[in-house]
Amino acid sequence: MADPKRSLLRAVLALCWLGLWAVPSSAAAFDRAAFAQDLCGDGAAQVRGAEDLVKAGGVLPADDLAYAGRLLGALAERRLTCPADGALLLDRPGAPEGHDALTSAVRPVADARAPVLGLRQRAAVETARGVVALLTGPDPATRGAGLSVVERRVATVPAAVLDRARDAETDAGLKATIAGLAQAAALSSPDPARRRAAIAAVAASPSGAAEARLTALKSDPAYTADPAFRAALDAGLSRVTRAVTIGDGLAVLYNGLSFASILFMAAAGLAIIFGLMGVINLAQGEFIMLGAYATYGVQEAFRRLAPGLLDLYLVAAIPVAFLAVALVGIVVEALILRHLYRRPLMSLLATWAVSLFLVNLVRVTVGTQNLQFIMPAYVSGGVPLYADFVVTWNRLFAIGFAAATVVLTLLILRRTPLGLDIRAVTQNRDMAACLGLPTRRVDRLAFGLGSGLAGLAGVALCPIYSVNPGMGSGFIVDSFMVVVLGGVGSLLGTLVAALGIGGANVLIEPISGAVAAKVIVLVGIILFLQRRPEGLFAVRRRR
Amino acid sequence: MIDALTVAFGRFTALESVSLAVDAGEVRAVIGPNGAGKTTLLDVISGITKPVSGRVMLGDRIDLTQSSEAEIAKAGVRRKFQKPSVFPALTVRENLEIGCGPALPARDRPNRIASVLGEIGLGPRTEVLAGSLAHGEKQWLEIGMVLAAEPALLLLDEPVAGLSDSETAHTAALIRALRRPDRAILVIEHDMGFVEAIADRVTVLHEGRTLYEGSMAGARGDARVIEVFLGR
Amino acid sequence: MSGAVQTALASPAGPARRAVRDPLIASLVGLCLAAAAVLVVASPAPYLVNALGQLAAFAILAVSLDLVWGYLGILSLGHGLFFAIGGYVCAMHLLADGVAATGVLPDFVQFMGWKSLPAYWAGLDHSAYAFVLALALAGLVAFVFGLASFRSRVNGVYFSIISQALVYVAMLLMYRNDTGLGGNNGMTGFPLLFGWPMGSPGAITGLAVAALLMLAAVLAGTRLLIGSAVGRRMLACRDDETRLRTLGYSTTRLKLGIWCLSAMIAALAGILYVPQVGIINPRVLAPDLSIEIAVWVAIGGLGRLGGAVIGAILVNGLKFWLSAAMPEAWPFILSGLVLLVVLVLPNGLLDLVALRPRPTWLRGAR
Repeated sequence: MADPKRSLLRAVLALCWLGLWAVPSSAAAFDRAAFAQDLCGDGAAQVRGAEDLVKAGGVLPADDLAYAGRLLGALAERRLTCPADGALLLDRPGAPEGHDALTSAVRPVADARAPVLGLRQRAAVETARGVVALLTGPDPATRGAGLSVVERRVATVPAAVLDRARDAETDAGLKATIAGLAQAAALSSPDPARRRAAIAAVAASPSGAAEARLTALKSDPAYTADPAFRAALDAGLSRVTRAVTIGDGLAVLYNGLSFASILFMAAAGLAIIFGLMGVINLAQGEFIMLGAYATYGVQEAFRRLAPGLLDLYLVAAIPVAFLAVALVGIVVEALILRHLYRRPLMSLLATWAVSLFLVNLVRVTVGTQNLQFIMPAYVSGGVPLYADFVVTWNRLFAIGFAAATVVLTLLILRRTPLGLDIRAVTQNRDMAACLGLPTRRVDRLAFGLGSGLAGLAGVALCPIYSVNPGMGSGFIVDSFMVVVLGGVGSLLGTLVAALGIGGANVLIEPISGAVAAKVIVLVGIILFLQRRPEGLFAVRRRR
Repeated sequence: MIDALTVAFGRFTALESVSLAVDAGEVRAVIGPNGAGKTTLLDVISGITKPVSGRVMLGDRIDLTQSSEAEIAKAGVRRKFQKPSVFPALTVRENLEIGCGPALPARDRPNRIASVLGEIGLGPRTEVLAGSLAHGEKQWLEIGMVLAAEPALLLLDEPVAGLSDSETAHTAALIRALRRPDRAILVIEHDMGFVEAIADRVTVLHEGRTLYEGSMAGARGDARVIEVFLGR
Repeated sequence: MSGAVQTALASPAGPARRAVRDPLIASLVGLCLAAAAVLVVASPAPYLVNALGQLAAFAILAVSLDLVWGYLGILSLGHGLFFAIGGYVCAMHLLADGVAATGVLPDFVQFMGWKSLPAYWAGLDHSAYAFVLALALAGLVAFVFGLASFRSRVNGVYFSIISQALVYVAMLLMYRNDTGLGGNNGMTGFPLLFGWPMGSPGAITGLAVAALLMLAAVLAGTRLLIGSAVGRRMLACRDDETRLRTLGYSTTRLKLGIWCLSAMIAALAGILYVPQVGIINPRVLAPDLSIEIAVWVAIGGLGRLGGAVIGAILVNGLKFWLSAAMPEAWPFILSGLVLLVVLVLPNGLLDLVALRPRPTWLRGAR
């Protein structure tokens, strides 16, 4: 029965012992008078006072810090005078009277000695002032200035100060800077344990910058000297490198996916039209451009008529662009293409003429400058997901848009009567005509559908690419490649080909450059066509 | 000789294990309803389509299923297409000259052309551009083109499609006159009267399989054939 | 002229006679020779002479495309590539020649900080070598590309698209500044032409005369080719390649040969063009420009060599004139012209001349 009592006693003693440690740190009440005395003292005292302040900076209450800051400032600017008791703050050097540092009462300067701030003490005092400014400055500018001062002698500043400053900081940019400085200080701290902890902290939030920082540490002498340090660094580094690689891989995939989405939307219309009518629509790029310009028109309309709803312009533009460009397509088909039935090469030239006309029409009416678009909140910025990989909303918009387009187009093609007609005429035009299908009307509507899809592509790429009259030409060649590779008339083929080409482009580009990527992709396609001239998923027609 | 030929397009089987043998000097007609696989058969023989299994032997030595289109043509196989395929921008004479083939030396060409012209009866139209010929004349021209190379195997795909009765009769006489002991002729047709006039034997195809093989009279009497052709 | 054309159409002339008699070509050839003579004898304004020379070069380019398009049915939308090959090699020769004569390095070399011309420029100061290299290179590129395409039966619009992609990629490559070929500024500042200073009236006239004589030669040569047995085979191949193949001919070989010939003629046009404009840069490789060549041919008359010449001269003449007077209007006029031709005059402007539309299959017969 004595045992429980003894262990209880031991526990209480342990708690008191711990409390003894805790108490000094919480009872680090700042002795203002002693501080003033230090500053009024000789050089060693001044340095001591300043350094003590810095050491305690992490935990001192704000008004104590402000008090110390006033005194330090006065000392540096020669506005501090030290009578027999306490210290006086003058408004300017040589003023006849000043405020008592502790009570703020006004007292005349009499028998007061003005302490001199020697060169050797200046650094410590400036650092202390910097700490105060960093921790109590009223605005980011002041705090930033304080940070710069602290940075110069960061080795003398304890981690607690920087941590406190970082945690309290509201300005995002300054916060990041403080955090970076705190991390760097921790990493080069003389305390090995603190260093290892800092390495682990860096490894915990991996990024390219973190990787660089840790790699730089490898040349630190402690790497070869201290096995614990080396172990920690190696572990941290491998973890970060793996995470960064994964993050970079994800970013590449993401970019490739968004590029492929745009390609798909640009090429889907082309594939449908080509499969149906054998017409290569060289004006497809310009239809995309028209879609983008229609989006701009919607934006301006919102701006004028419903400025409160301006952010919704992008969504509202979707049906507008689709219908507007589809209409243009139908007009082109009705006026020009229907006379060129069964003459694909002439249709090609005709669509080229249309594209030339559209580019110059827009150039003459609207102008050649890039259009300025407002980025609504739902397509700005992004969410950092993993390492350096940020899921940007504008690309996600494009991907989502493309996915929706795929679904919608498939629905139209497979569930609606028009879709059935389109598929029938694509596979066997003569037979369909014999069965009474109005092939010309199907042509017209399908051309409208294909153009409308291009218009949608125009909407989707407004947040990503620059919009000007000549933008279409950048997509035409790639869209062609997608259609040729994917197989004529097959939506699935277009999708797969877009993914393949988009992915290949994005993968090769960082290695060999954009031009080499295009060359390699082109050569690859030509080689592929050697084996399968009809493309990936050609609709096999019976003769 | 066609041996157990199977041809498929994706999931659709056009010909299933079809076998037939045509002798030199024979005119064989292949008939059957649409979709029976007749044109596919010709496609395989002329090398346009490759079969899933089976083979086609020309004589004893050449396997046409393993040869390229060029090799098949060189071996003496000539095909007249369903749609009259003449070269509209060239004259009748020039069409025939091309029909002679690259192997025939230039000095022999005029004779060959002249004889073919006589056979097909287009003498008076020699310098006319083929594009302005009548439909029937185009058919004869094409027959002449494929004849000009003196083929060992002649494939005729619906030679009288779209012809009037008199033209059909003319064509029947023409084909009968084309018979030669070293030449086999394979004809696809729908016109039963025509088939009766020219064919030595008849093969009936239905849904990718051989239904009947024998004389025309026998085909007319065969119950299955009648059923397939709906009592024709 | 329309009467002569109709006569040629209806006449029962034998093949030998027809190979020689072609009034349109004959008159064009005569016109070229006459113009050349006029340039030598009289001395019209250098600006006009230069323009005429450029038009002649474009006409040669149009003929090269018509050869494969009108007579073989292969629409190449990348012929600018071969034109550019000829032009670039010619520019390299002129610059190398200038370096050899004057010792001064061209601008772009100094711009890149190099001490001398890159290694593969060696020998280009010899004009014969440069000439042969230009044609051989064009032929080689055409051969490789053509072999890959024709063997796998890539035809029609597929081929057109891929040829566009080819010239587009070539343009991207040429825009790079480290190729030693001038980068995005191209090459200019050619000092000498066979010893004559560039820009002197003698050089300008000489170039224009050379271009006209070349045009005449190319016209005569291609006309002979078209009229021969090879020409007939080309027409057969264009109208029904399968038929020709099943008659025992190797269409791949035929197409490849004519394709390479066309590439070399296009390179020749480039050789004649570049000294007359005094510059070459990657813009000649723009995909749009290659399509324009097809437009010239279509407007003039597809499948008639004379039509190609007329189309090229007409369109480019209009462009020269209007770019100075109404630059904004030119693209609209061009697109309108193309639509007009495509919709109303399927056989090009020569239909107007004959005053009756002719069936499409009839082109190329004369």
